[in-house]
Amino acid sequence: MLVYIVRRFAGMMIVMLLVAMVVFVIARVVPGDPAAVMLGSSATPDDIAALRSRLGLDEPLLTQFLLYLGQIVRFDLGESIFLNRPVVQALAERSELTGLLTMMSVGIAMLIGVPIGILSAAKRGGLIDQAAVGLAMLAASIPSFWIGLTLIKYLAVDHAWFPVAGYGPPEADLMERMRHLVLPAIALGIPNSALILRFTRTSMLDVMSNDYVRTARAKGLPPLVVVLKHALRNAMIPILTVIGLTTAVMIAGAIVTETVFGLPGVGNLIVSAVLRRDYPVIQGALLVVSAIYVLINLTVDLLYAVVDPRVRY
Amino acid sequence: MTGITRRLFNTALGSAVAVGGLSTGISAGILGTWTTPAQAQQGGASVVTVATIGEPPTLDPVGTTSDLVSIITQHMFETLFTFDGDWKLAPLVASALPQVSADGKTYTIPLRSGVTFHDGSTVTAEDVVASLDHWTKASPRGKTVAPLVESIAAKGADAVVIALKEPFAPLTALLAMNNGAAAIVPKSVIDGPGALKSLVGTGPYKLLEHKPDQYIRLVRHDGYASPTGTPSGYAGSRKAVIGELRFVPVPNAATRVSGVLAGQYQFADSLPAETLPRIKDAAGVKPVIVKPFGFPLMIMNTKTGVMANPKVRQAVLAALEPNDMLLAGLGDPAFVQAEGSIYAQGTPYFDAASAKPYSDHAAGKAKDLLKAAGYKGEPIRIMTSVQYEFLYKMSMVAQAQLEMAGFKVDLQVLDWATLLQRRGDDKGWDAFFTYHTFVPEPSLITVLNPSYPGWWDSPAKREALAAFNREMDPAARKAKWVALQTLFYSEVPSVKVGEFYNLAASSDKLTGYTPTPWPFFWNTDLKG
Repeated sequence: MLVYIVRRFAGMMIVMLLVAMVVFVIARVVPGDPAAVMLGSSATPDDIAALRSRLGLDEPLLTQFLLYLGQIVRFDLGESIFLNRPVVQALAERSELTGLLTMMSVGIAMLIGVPIGILSAAKRGGLIDQAAVGLAMLAASIPSFWIGLTLIKYLAVDHAWFPVAGYGPPEADLMERMRHLVLPAIALGIPNSALILRFTRTSMLDVMSNDYVRTARAKGLPPLVVVLKHALRNAMIPILTVIGLTTAVMIAGAIVTETVFGLPGVGNLIVSAVLRRDYPVIQGALLVVSAIYVLINLTVDLLYAVVDPRVRY
Repeated sequence: MTGITRRLFNTALGSAVAVGGLSTGISAGILGTWTTPAQAQQGGASVVTVATIGEPPTLDPVGTTSDLVSIITQHMFETLFTFDGDWKLAPLVASALPQVSADGKTYTIPLRSGVTFHDGSTVTAEDVVASLDHWTKASPRGKTVAPLVESIAAKGADAVVIALKEPFAPLTALLAMNNGAAAIVPKSVIDGPGALKSLVGTGPYKLLEHKPDQYIRLVRHDGYASPTGTPSGYAGSRKAVIGELRFVPVPNAATRVSGVLAGQYQFADSLPAETLPRIKDAAGVKPVIVKPFGFPLMIMNTKTGVMANPKVRQAVLAALEPNDMLLAGLGDPAFVQAEGSIYAQGTPYFDAASAKPYSDHAAGKAKDLLKAAGYKGEPIRIMTSVQYEFLYKMSMVAQAQLEMAGFKVDLQVLDWATLLQRRGDDKGWDAFFTYHTFVPEPSLITVLNPSYPGWWDSPAKREALAAFNREMDPAARKAKWVALQTLFYSEVPSVKVGEFYNLAASSDKLTGYTPTPWPFFWNTDLKG
């Protein structure tokens, strides 16, 4: 197991290096200039050239890349061009929001997807099953921005049960900040619940056709025990995989939801950085998100061994 | 599975379910009344939250001409002069308008005494000299003045003298602008031509906290020394009644509307025109329509390519029907005015006669002009951006109208950052769409700057602009401006599409607010 983890970490380092290179190249190849954005639309080419020089953007690309590599091996992601702070700090400031939003929306997606998926499999072919499959299709089809705007209209504007947008005023405590995330978590959780529901249903159907489940039923065990104790355990591997993937995708994939709700999360940071061509933030944020993605994959793989004793590393 | 792994598994599954439960449990548990920032009390002071279109690229008011930056920073930084409600110049950190020598080359600026910076220190003539010197090196506006400046020096403890190499009438207006601003700052925070070392100004509010993409908090500057006089526009007495201003970036316009309707924001800027009925019908909120606000422009490349031929540009002007473009862009006739005069009615530089070609639209005329120009069907590369949706819609209409007149159009839809970069290359484009916020002084209009993309710099224009800039007498300046506008319509460096107005929304509780292109919140109060 330890050897496996070490090997995976070594692989992770190579992946990170490749990500760093690819992101650096893509960021620079895409047209656009942070100096032009910073100076505003009245700026002349001379003004822009002077600022580029001050920011070191007129250095040869190779020099810039080597400097960047030198930074990341020292775990220094550089300084944001626009935010007047280190990239690490900018990411840290947004990590609470992104972490909470991800947890809450994955929680909501699981609460909807897993139980309905199990029920749907247990009642295969029946009305409940058909309704569940229909619900999954509907949830997958509704865009999260539409859910977001609808929630804002009815629950925030018409009833004022929740705030419309933002992550709370400066004096807000954790509870108040979480209140600001309820609607976005629902908007993000509902579409993602569809995937979890369908994977759970398929995986459970797969397992429930096995002999040992039939044996358990034949022994006269209550249906609930058969489903939850005997079938669910073995159906968990694909479900865990999809939950892991959903979580990883949500870390930077909540961009639309964050925009609709005016949330300063990691996704929002990446989009703003791309629009402003804030190279250090684009590079640093994508590097960190890739690392989290790889770590979540590793965690899911390790959980397989916990869930299924037959899996050995 | 061993006991420990089973427990681990159960814990993992349990935790996952608990997270879901926790999130929804909390959701259920925290339903109820919640405190808006406006109701929050900061040491007994009221808080006003303003939703802006996004995160400003910087909070340094000198180095950028961004309107978003100036909306926020005008509360923190002040200039020597400002504009009153009629767009006339008025003193701000100065105690009076400058005394200009008979030859127009020497400006003596008296300073108000007792003006303090946010750090408690008093403004000295030395600080003002350093600030003005920094402005000539760091500001896009100041750099245009720099070649004309002979010297900037203190005259005793309470005056500053700017000596010019030649007369330059727009100087006072340039010193009064709140973007690319000649902000008066302590000498100690100036760091060469770079950004200010710290954001210390003389304004009625000072910076408390800035969390990028979340909020910018400005609190009352208790040592503020206000100018005197009846408030008018940006001039006169300034009183910071509101204890704290919070500028919140909300890039999504629909969210800004919802936020102000729900009472989460007391002011929301730049809202879609189509939301006006919704804002009108809502309780506790009123619409704010800002006139004058700005004018969309189709800037043409006068330097290279097919548009370098003035006849082709005249054909473009003849081919376009601005009213269609305006309605396509903004949707509601209440927010647009097909106005050819660069300065709209009611402003000092308005002149309809010299803008007559604006109204002479005819596809036939455009075709004749194209024929005379020897146009051979070269594609006209027009750059536009969906980030400014109204400009994008206008450019689509322009494309159709130009094609009807015989042009071949290559409409390039780019993101704004790419457009900003590409427009610097004179060989990469023929036209682009942008807009210009209202500016009180004509010489500040970017199209007149020969180094601004488009590069309008014909000998006739150079002469007309120089004559306008040298003229110190206001009445004679108007006549010279008319001559310049006449030239604008004969050489057609750009097409002014028309006037458009800005929609904002304000809480009924916010009193004393004056609609302006750059919203300000001194002299406003929060009732109830």
